[in-house]
Amino acid sequence: MGIKIDALKCTNCMACEMACGYHRDDGFAFLSACIVPYRAREKKDYFGVLLKEEDSLVVARPEGTEINRIGEEADPDKEADASAKPMLLREACDLCEDMKYGPMCVKICPVDAISVAE
Amino acid sequence: MEYLSNDKILVVDLAKGDVEEEELSEELVAERIGGAGVNARLYKEYADDDPIVLGVGLLTGSMYPASAASVLTAKSPVTGKLCHCPVTLKVGIEIKYAGFDYIVIKGRSDKPVYLWIHDGVADIADAADVWGKDVWETTDAWRKGVGDDLLQTMVIGPAGEKGLDCAQVCYNYWTGPDRFGIGKLFGQRNLKGMAFRGMGLLEAAEPEDFVDEAFELLEAVKGNAFMSKKGLGPICAALGEADAEEWLSPVVHRHSADYFTPYATNTFAFIDEDPAAVTETAKPEPGVLISDIPALLAFKKLGLSALDAAKAMQACARQGVDPMAAATAGEKGGKTSIDDILSQVAATTEPAAMEGNGVFSPWCPRKPIFGDFGASDTDAWWERRQAVAAIFGIQPVFAVMCPQLTEESMISLSNIGGELELDQETLDTVIGDIAG
Amino acid sequence: MENRPFIGPSLGIYTGTGASHSWLWFVDLFEKAGFFDLTFLDEIDVRRGGLDGLDGFATAGGDTFALAEALGPRGAEQLARFVENGGIYLGSCAGAYLPMRSSKIPLDQFNFVDVRITNLTSALPTPQRMAGKFCTAYGCRFVFHPVRETVTLVIDGKSPAAGSLIDAPLYGGPGMIAAGDAQVLANYQGFTDKTLFLTDRRLAEKTLIGTAAAVRQEKGRGVFYLFGPHFEHPRYPEANRFLLDAIKEEMDRKPVGTEKPTFWRRNARPSKAGKALVRDVKRELSNARIVAAGLEMLPLQWRIGEKIYEPTKIRVFLDSLWRRIRPLEKADHVHFTPGCDAKMLRLALEITETIRTMKHRIDENLDATPQAKELFHRLQGLSKAFLQLYFDTRAAEAMSDFASFTPIPGELN
Repeated sequence: MGIKIDALKCTNCMACEMACGYHRDDGFAFLSACIVPYRAREKKDYFGVLLKEEDSLVVARPEGTEINRIGEEADPDKEADASAKPMLLREACDLCEDMKYGPMCVKICPVDAISVAE
Repeated sequence: MEYLSNDKILVVDLAKGDVEEEELSEELVAERIGGAGVNARLYKEYADDDPIVLGVGLLTGSMYPASAASVLTAKSPVTGKLCHCPVTLKVGIEIKYAGFDYIVIKGRSDKPVYLWIHDGVADIADAADVWGKDVWETTDAWRKGVGDDLLQTMVIGPAGEKGLDCAQVCYNYWTGPDRFGIGKLFGQRNLKGMAFRGMGLLEAAEPEDFVDEAFELLEAVKGNAFMSKKGLGPICAALGEADAEEWLSPVVHRHSADYFTPYATNTFAFIDEDPAAVTETAKPEPGVLISDIPALLAFKKLGLSALDAAKAMQACARQGVDPMAAATAGEKGGKTSIDDILSQVAATTEPAAMEGNGVFSPWCPRKPIFGDFGASDTDAWWERRQAVAAIFGIQPVFAVMCPQLTEESMISLSNIGGELELDQETLDTVIGDIAG
Repeated sequence: MENRPFIGPSLGIYTGTGASHSWLWFVDLFEKAGFFDLTFLDEIDVRRGGLDGLDGFATAGGDTFALAEALGPRGAEQLARFVENGGIYLGSCAGAYLPMRSSKIPLDQFNFVDVRITNLTSALPTPQRMAGKFCTAYGCRFVFHPVRETVTLVIDGKSPAAGSLIDAPLYGGPGMIAAGDAQVLANYQGFTDKTLFLTDRRLAEKTLIGTAAAVRQEKGRGVFYLFGPHFEHPRYPEANRFLLDAIKEEMDRKPVGTEKPTFWRRNARPSKAGKALVRDVKRELSNARIVAAGLEMLPLQWRIGEKIYEPTKIRVFLDSLWRRIRPLEKADHVHFTPGCDAKMLRLALEITETIRTMKHRIDENLDATPQAKELFHRLQGLSKAFLQLYFDTRAAEAMSDFASFTPIPGELN
C-alpha cells in the first residue's frame, strides 16, 4: 500500500503538506511533512509532488513518476555506514497509521490528486 | 494570543533602523478579530506616522479552506482612504509562519532597505544592490542570497521606486491585487520590499474539533459544480465573457491555486515555450502567472491576442506596474499593437479608475463567480464579502465563488481554534468599521 | 546529591570527533530528567582533564575507531582515572564498543571491560538489505549488524524488575557476552514487528538472542555501563527509565559530594550581553535551517570519513538548538563562561555562510562534500558551545529560583 499522486490534477496548493505536517506536529505546520508540492522553480512553472518514503524519494511529475533511492551509498563497492542513527525529523510516510481519517493528504486534497494505491 | 497566532506584533521604524516587538493581546483579537480589523486599529494607533500595516487573518494558514490571504493596510495615494489589499499566492501564509501576526512599518529609511522576516527574527537589510532592479531580478537576488528557493517576497519595481500612483507591490514575480498604489508608499520610504520565510507552528485550542469541522466544510465545498474546472478561463466565462476561455487557451500551461484554495485561481501562460510541454522547460523565463482577471480582460478588449496580453502582463510584473493601470493607459492613448503597449507599460503613471468604495481591491471580480449567494445588492454584498475575507484571511476570489464559506463557519472555526467567543455582532461591528 | 537537589548529578556528554548526533538524545533525556549540570566535552577537553569532578560521562553512538583515535592514549588514561576515582561511564552503541577488551589499534588502549561481542565474524554473511549499513571492517574480521530498529530486552539480575521486558532500538550496537566481573543487566530477548532484519532471521537470533544488551562492571571506585541499544533514544521511555534508574542507583551509592556544580566551577556568569548573543545566534540558526530544510527533499548525500551524511542531519543539530532558544529568551539572565560568546557567534555565522555556499554549489551541480564536512564540524562545535550556555543558564536559574524557568517546547515536554 502506498500514496499515489496524479501530478496532472495537482494545483500546487500545499494542502497535503499542511495535513501531513499536522499529522506529525499536532498543530498547523509544514516543517515535518513528508509530502511536499514542488515550488522551487516558480518562474518556470515547473511542478510536481515529492513524497518521502522509507529509503526512497518519489518525484511525481505530469510526465511520469521518478523514484530516487536515498540513504544508501551510491557506490555499493565502497564500505559505508554500519550504524546510521535515525534523524527523527521529516520522517518517511507512515500512511498516517494513527489518524482516524487515514492518510491526511488524501483526505484534504481538494482536487483528488492523491489516492491510496493498494 | 495563544492560538492560531504567533502572539507577536512587530513595529519597524525605518527612520531609526530599529525594530520592536509587542504581544498580541487576546482582548484586541476579541474586539477586532484579525487581518484588516486589527490592521485598521494599528493604523489608528500609529496614525501620526501614516504607517503601512501588514497583518495575517485570524484563520490564515490553517486548515480552514482557502485560508491563504494576509492583508496590507495603508492610506492609499489613489483613493485617499485606508485601503486593504490582499496578500495572495503563498506569500500570505508565509508571513504567519515567519513568526509575526502584524507588522507596522513607520518612518522613511535614508537608504534602500528591505525587511527580512524569518522565524520570528526581523532584520532591516540593505537593498542598495537591488535598487533600480526590476521585480524579477530582485526576488532572484534575495532568493539566491538567502539560499532558499521558497523565500516569499513582496517587491516593488522601478514604478514604485519612482513613486508613481500606478506602482504595485508584487508578490514573488507576479502582479497582485494592489490597485491602491501601495507600491508607491514602499518606494517613498526607500523600502524595496519584504522577504518572508519561516518554519513556525500554529497551535489550535481544539485541534481535532477544528479539523473535523474543516473537513466537513471541505466536503461541502467539493460538492460545487465549479470544482471540475480550473483557472481563469472558466471564471471569465462565468463573468459573462464567454469567448475569453477560448481566447486564452492557446497560452495556458497550467493552473495553480493559492494555499489550500480549492479552485485554482491562477493561470500560468507560456510566452516563449510550448504551453503543452509537460517536461521541465529549458527556458529560464518562459511566461507569466496571471491572477488579475479584470486586467486580462482589459487587454483582451484592446484587441490583443492572449499571447500579447501575457507579454503585457509579464512586462507589468517586471516593472511593478498595476496591469489594469497599464491597460487603461493603453486604451486612453489609443494603443493597439503589442509593441506600443509594451513601451506604454514603463511609461504608465496614472492609476486605473477605482471601482467600488475604494477600500477593497477591484482586482477581485465584483460579482459572484459560479456560486449563488442570493444577494440583492451586489455592490454591498461584494464589499462585505471582501471585508470578511480580509478579516479572517480568506482568498478573496474564492470568497466570491464559494457560498459554503459562510461568516458563521469562519466565526465557529475561529472560536474552536482560537479559544475565543466571537459572535456575529462583533463581526458586524468590525466590518462596519473597516468597510468605509 | 543532597547538596544540589535541583540540578541533578554533574554529567559530561561526549560531543567530539567520532560522535554522531545521538549524543543529542542524551541531552534531551537528561534535561527531561531535570539534570541541568551538564558539561559538553570534545576529545581535547577529555585529554585535558575535563572529566575531573564529573559524576558521570556519557558517550553515545558514532564511529568507534574515530572516537578511540581522537581520544588517544592521553584520553584513555583520563577515562581510566575518571572511573577508578568513582566516575560512572555510560556508553551506548559506539560508546559501548569503546571500553571493551580489544587487541586492535587504537582500541587496545581502552581495555577496561571484560566483555566480548557476538556480532563479529571472519566469514561475512550475505546481507539481505541495506548493504551499506550492514557491516564495518574490524581488523581482519567484520563487525556485522544482523538487525536494526526495535528489539525486546529482558531485565536480568537481582533487581525487582528482573524478568520484565522493555523495548529499545539497536543501530549497530553489540550483542555481548560478559566475563570476569562484568555483570549482565539485560539480555536480548526477541524481535518485534518493527525489527528490520539485515541478515536471515536464524543468524540474527543466533547472534543476538540470549546475549547481553546491557552490562555493568565496577572498576576501582567507579563503574562502566555498556548499552548495546540506544537506551537514551527519546521514543523509548522504558529504556530511558532504566538508564536514569541506573544513574540514580550509582549516585545513591556514592559518598555525598562536596564539589560545587560544574557550571559554577566553569565560572559561568550572568551577562548583559547574553540576550543580544541569544538573538544573534537565533538569527543565524534561522538563516541556516531555512536553507537546510530546502535541501531535505533532494536526493543528496555526502560521504565524510566512513559515514554517509544526509541533508536531514543538518537540521537535527540546528533544531536541537532552535527549540532551546525560546526558554533562553524568557530567562532573566543568560549565563556563560566569558569568552565563549565570540566563538559561538563566529561559528553561527560560518554555518550560515557554509550552508549557503553548499546550496549554491548544489544548484550548479557541483560537489559540496568539502563544505558539508566543514559544516558538520561547525555544527558539532556550535552545539557544544550553545548547549553549554543553555544548561549553565538552566542550572543557574534552578539554583536561584527553580520555578522561574519555563519548560522548553517540543519533544522534551
